[in-house]
Amino acid sequence: MIWYFLTLIILVLIAPLLLSFIKMFKMVLLFKKPISIFQGYRDFSKLMQKETIISHEASELTRYAPFLVLSPLLVVMLFLPPVIEGSFYVNFVDAFTITGLISLSTFFLMLLGLDSASSFGGMGSSREAFISALVEPAMVLTIFSVSMMADNLSVAQAGVNLAHHFPKEHMASFLFAGISFFILLLAENGRIPVDNPETHLELTMVHEAMILDITGVYLAIIETASSIKFVVFSSLFVSLFLPFGLEYSPVVALLIFIAKLFLVAILVALTEVNMAKLRLFKVPNLLGISIVFAFLSLITFYVLGA
Amino acid sequence: MFSFDTLSLVFIFLILLGAIPNIFYSSGYLSHVERKTHYQIHYFAFIFSMIGVVVSANALVFLFFWELMSLTSWQLILTNAEDKETIKAGRFYFFMTHFGFIFLLMFFIIVSNGNLELGFDAMKSIASGFEYPTMLFLFLSLGLLSKAGVVPLHVWLPYAHPSAPSPVSALMSGVMLKVAIYGMFRFLLDVLYPWPLEWGMLILTLGSISSLVGVLYALSEHDIKALLANHSIENIGIILIGFGMGMIFDTLGLETLSSFSFIAALFHSFNHMSFKSLLFMGAGSVLHQTGTKNIEKYGGLIKSMPVTALTFLLASISISALPPTNGFLSEWMIFQSMLGSSHIGDISLKMTIPFAVFSLAMTGGLAIACFVKAYGITFLGLHRSSNAKHAHEVNFLMKTGMIMMAVVIISLMLFTPFYIGLFDKVMVEFSRASVYHEIFPTVWSMHSVGTSGGVVSPLILLIALMVITALLMFAYRLSDKKIRFHNTWSCGYKTSGKTQYTATGFAGPIRRFFSWLYRPEEHLEKQTMAGQESKFDASSYEVHVTPLFEKSLYNSVAKLANVISYWVYRFAHFEKTRYSAMIFNLLLMVLFSYRLFVNGFSWGTFVLELVVMAMSIKILIIGDKK
Repeated sequence: MIWYFLTLIILVLIAPLLLSFIKMFKMVLLFKKPISIFQGYRDFSKLMQKETIISHEASELTRYAPFLVLSPLLVVMLFLPPVIEGSFYVNFVDAFTITGLISLSTFFLMLLGLDSASSFGGMGSSREAFISALVEPAMVLTIFSVSMMADNLSVAQAGVNLAHHFPKEHMASFLFAGISFFILLLAENGRIPVDNPETHLELTMVHEAMILDITGVYLAIIETASSIKFVVFSSLFVSLFLPFGLEYSPVVALLIFIAKLFLVAILVALTEVNMAKLRLFKVPNLLGISIVFAFLSLITFYVLGA
Repeated sequence: MFSFDTLSLVFIFLILLGAIPNIFYSSGYLSHVERKTHYQIHYFAFIFSMIGVVVSANALVFLFFWELMSLTSWQLILTNAEDKETIKAGRFYFFMTHFGFIFLLMFFIIVSNGNLELGFDAMKSIASGFEYPTMLFLFLSLGLLSKAGVVPLHVWLPYAHPSAPSPVSALMSGVMLKVAIYGMFRFLLDVLYPWPLEWGMLILTLGSISSLVGVLYALSEHDIKALLANHSIENIGIILIGFGMGMIFDTLGLETLSSFSFIAALFHSFNHMSFKSLLFMGAGSVLHQTGTKNIEKYGGLIKSMPVTALTFLLASISISALPPTNGFLSEWMIFQSMLGSSHIGDISLKMTIPFAVFSLAMTGGLAIACFVKAYGITFLGLHRSSNAKHAHEVNFLMKTGMIMMAVVIISLMLFTPFYIGLFDKVMVEFSRASVYHEIFPTVWSMHSVGTSGGVVSPLILLIALMVITALLMFAYRLSDKKIRFHNTWSCGYKTSGKTQYTATGFAGPIRRFFSWLYRPEEHLEKQTMAGQESKFDASSYEVHVTPLFEKSLYNSVAKLANVISYWVYRFAHFEKTRYSAMIFNLLLMVLFSYRLFVNGFSWGTFVLELVVMAMSIKILIIGDKK
């Protein structure tokens, strides 16, 4: 139980670090003077000290929505697969609940975008709605296929099963599902081929546009929510698609897990450096690839025999 | 004549849950209705007739109440009959509902051997002796599904529901569609049992298509009530996906999975009743206050109508199938039943199910987009017209109705085990496997019945969400931050109702991506200045989407009928001999078809009859070439 809570705390703490690390690594790759890896914490503490500015046009919803954006993601964190052999995990929550909770968070974020009566917010919400509607089927199919391979629909249990018995005979479907999930990770977290987290140009932004009118503590909460979303996705990716290293002693296992998270961050940074942001209407093609890979994964799994 | 078995009682419960809050709401709404007596008489007769349908035990009583239900709802649509659109909608509804009625009548005439007073329990033996069970199934499906609004028989819904007064649309969409689902349960589980695999596949396919088509057309709607009506098509599709999975599993002998899927379908019927009624009531309140159905004229209503806004938000979360609401729970069950397809042995069948999973997941994603649009444009931001500016909260009775319906939603969410227990009793009554104890080993968590299936625990989820949100807010309150109010930043311009995103703009990306389906008609008018394309002082953009089914299927049928009647007219006009020859040929055709039904089909006689028909048409009607 103690390792369970320790993992949770470490995941929450490491969340801003990962995003700053991606930014730093990208800057190193582009031969820019890199920002500090602790920039995420600095931003957070600065935002916490600022006063809250609420728009005249906004309603009561703006005061509650930031909390409702963050809390479903925190609930998801409780249900992640264990990173240490023998530590406690919630062994029953399945993938639909997790995708549902993530959608709940996105739902309130989109409403928040529409609440301030700014056309930026509407634009961001509209684009986010478009992208997340297409992400949903790919997500469900991918997780369906992974849970078939792990022989359990519960996500945490699937992670444990995969660590104990890796399905070597289904390597093809496993790879397809992995590629599909990585595309989803990029799309859901607003990384480059889908959305550019660093831009403030109205033509390109999605996530930033929705929160343009949010300041102070509320902005800190939303930023935390997006970093936690990244940690949730990358630790799901790590536990389901790189399921090794759990059996060592707790500290080593935890270190291996964190190393794997950074590996995902490096992968994301490399993708971002090597790709241009897609036009909004090309994004469905990318998500279509993800859907097709999810289908392929299921079909190869069925054809090769369950 | 009447029977009160568990299925009937469950559906009486559904009707009452839908109708009682609605009666409150309707009494509050009454001031908005001009022909009050006409409205009241038909309103209560409508509720009464729906209860009549679900308790009737023989075909005659069933058809009587079914027709009464159709006619009263038809009159209720025509409550506000000055409007031309309303009259058109009423006519369309009248036609569609009787189209279905004829098929139901044919079904009953066949399965009761012409004795319409025969009870339902005696029909099974007649039906199993009939030579063409698939024809019976098709008659029944056409009859019931035209009422339920399943693609391609859904076209009347987006016309009829917006034209009716809002309490009536809530009843029609929330409850009347479920009466058709009752018919599916009553006659498929009992009278037409057992089924071949194809029937289940047909229902599953229709369900998948309806769910996608419904939500896609909902996204392109500007009329809030038509948007909700399109969502009814979607949700009926989801119910049918559950029902179809149940039929498929039953054919394959997977009894527990089959019961689980049927229970999921029943549960989603209840959930759809609750949130769709509430959404229509909320839309009705907004319409009552602003006097327009056009979603582009709303905005900022959360400030003036907090109760409506809050209940509408609850219903929106629930219909978007977000946890921990009841809509999520039933959609979760349907997903789980589809994941149970890994137990199917036949690999080609197994590989088709992921396509249904895909369509249901896609529907879920698009429904979220649609309700962000419906809620955000209606209630958030600034008012977009003076109608919305002067809106204020509705009267006490209407508020009571909405709050009662919200309580129904919450009860479905909190007391899921109780409702599932009820549905399980229905399954037991039809001698299916009882799965209650497999779904709920304890009341805390809900299990799927497939091996290594998923688990969800609505209560724990709800508690976790509430506790964490409360803790976060408490921490924020403790920090006691200074709050300042300022205008929304809009690049140095003034924020006004006109600078906001519109509903058309919100659905823009999705409309553009699915333009192969929508085929939108766009009208763009610009008054350009000094001949420059990019500078203009006035412009208007409008986009209209005509449903593809209406355009291709219905209008082409109408065109075909026109062509046929033109030729009949050309042949028969002013020529008595030819006219009587046509009547003779028609009689011949009726006789031959009757023979087909009575004596069975055989190719020899069929060809012979065809030749006789062709000769008589050639000689008697067309005649010699001049």
